Amino acid sequence: MRGFYAFIKKEFLEQIRTFRLWILLAVAVLFGMMSPLMAKLMPEILSSMNMEGMVIQIPEPTVYDAYTQFFKNFTQMGTLVILLIFGGTLSGELSKGTLINLLAKGLPRRTVLLSKYVAAVIIWTVAYALAFVTNYGYTVYLFPETDVKNLFFSLFCLWIFVCFVISLIMLSSTIAPGSFGGLILSAGALVVMLMVSIIPKAEKFNPITLASVNVALLEGTKSVSGLTLTVSITILLILGSLIASILIFEKKKL
Amino acid sequence: MEILELKNVSKRFGTLEVINDLSFSVPEHSVFGFIGKNGAGKTTTMKMILGFLAADQGEIRVLGEKVSYGNTKTNRHIGYLPDVPEFYGYMSPREYLRLCGEVSGLNKDRIVDRTNELLPLVGLDGVNRRIRSFSRGMKQRLGIAQALLGEPKLLICDEPTSALDPVGRKEILDILSLAKARTTIIFSTHILSDVERICDSIGMLHQGKLVVQGSVTEIKNSYSTDVIRLEVGAECQTDQISKELKQMNFISRIVINENKIDIQMTNAEQYGMNILAYFVEKKIPVLKYELLEPSLENVFLEVVG
Ligand SMILES: Nc1ncnc2c1ncn2[C@@H]1O[C@H](COP(=O)(O)OP(=O)(O)OP(=O)(O)O)[C@@H](O)[C@H]1O
Ligand SMILES: [Mg+2]
Repeated sequence: MRGFYAFIKKEFLEQIRTFRLWILLAVAVLFGMMSPLMAKLMPEILSSMNMEGMVIQIPEPTVYDAYTQFFKNFTQMGTLVILLIFGGTLSGELSKGTLINLLAKGLPRRTVLLSKYVAAVIIWTVAYALAFVTNYGYTVYLFPETDVKNLFFSLFCLWIFVCFVISLIMLSSTIAPGSFGGLILSAGALVVMLMVSIIPKAEKFNPITLASVNVALLEGTKSVSGLTLTVSITILLILGSLIASILIFEKKKL
Repeated sequence: MEILELKNVSKRFGTLEVINDLSFSVPEHSVFGFIGKNGAGKTTTMKMILGFLAADQGEIRVLGEKVSYGNTKTNRHIGYLPDVPEFYGYMSPREYLRLCGEVSGLNKDRIVDRTNELLPLVGLDGVNRRIRSFSRGMKQRLGIAQALLGEPKLLICDEPTSALDPVGRKEILDILSLAKARTTIIFSTHILSDVERICDSIGMLHQGKLVVQGSVTEIKNSYSTDVIRLEVGAECQTDQISKELKQMNFISRIVINENKIDIQMTNAEQYGMNILAYFVEKKIPVLKYELLEPSLENVFLEVVG
């Protein structure tokens, strides 16, 4: 257990000193702020443009537009940023050889893997929470009506999806060689899932659904109970990826 | 007790056979010099001891416990200095040693004590810069500090002196000699004078096997043939001389280096006369006649070269 804490501390120090933590937090605040602002201002920007007498009918923006922006930013750019920030966390160390000294002291390999995962999830959670709080503040300030349905479950769906992406990075890093192996393979896996998500029948079984139903949940057109299977599958996939990555890592040639 | 034991270990990379039925053991509190030329398989052997590479055959034991490939419990007894140690560049040496101490399960006070002991010992006292800015030699020194930190029962050093200046080399060898009282050391090198300085026993790795094994004095006496060094006038035809000398059956080897001729033979006291006689007869000016001390280098060249 001491090895676990020691290594998690090292992970945080690394994220701080290599400025990755600050980049992530800055991006989070930016998304949180921009989403409601864009939703609010977009119609005004559009209507301020002189369209030579053409009249564009733009409905008054609602809180749903703000959340649509928020979730869109996070599922696309957010996932990309997470991939870039954590994609090399294990691959980089393996290709550079920085783990050798510590593993040679008897630090169990599963401890390395799990503490990396936990550290990444903590950092993601903090960034996400920060983004949401910022977003919420602006939303309440800018929109008169802020009542939406299933807000926390909707947030949870995206949260668990990114936790799944991080577990995918761990698994990919133990399989693919090179300092970008983890990043490339997990990005590839996500692209495949994205392509599969076109098939309606597969929707229930695809974790990527959790990153696309968020606004539908707020609007009430999707129900929580309709997603329990997807959430359960995603949690199982996270556990499966972690177990598989530990098993592979424990027998990896270094 | 045997701290390290290898039994019939073999390893191949594809078709390249690197280690072939290798067996040896290292007793407690001794320094074992692991010698071999580039690509002989020294690093490969060490990585197998650490579970980083799988042995194709055979068994390795550390303190009697079997090493398993991959994650191996036996590593808790080991301190390892890799041939090119890699660190977290954003840490200071102290921070790095604290991480190492925590990982080895030392308590806080012990880590501070050991750090205060080791940093001056390896010559990094008061260096508070980030490791990123370290030179190769400084990294090597920090590598030795981290390997010794947890007071391991077995210290494995892969060419610990290779990146160091002569003063640094002496310092590190002194540190290793001191550490011998508390640990067992296996270190690889091709600097044979280092070996003579601190090793109790050595093994020479050649074509996957230990071709020579034993204590340093024992090996020097039983393997080394005598070497006579002759310095001749600069205008002499050394090639011609060498060719003619090779006719004598007691000479096993001749090495020419400018106007120095090293002649390896079985019994210099008895046959030295014959050689001098040859030079007198040919009227070749001899500037210097010298009987060289037996050295590991000669043994190495003889068995490996
Ligand atoms: N991962 C690998 N894949 C294929 N071949 C390898 C691998 N690692 C080492 N080898 C080969 O095995 C042989 C032994 O290499 P090793 O690094 O053990 O030598 P060494 O004795 O440590 O040499 P040096 O004195 O140069 O450090 C070399 O021919 C090397 O090319
Ligand atoms: Mg080597």
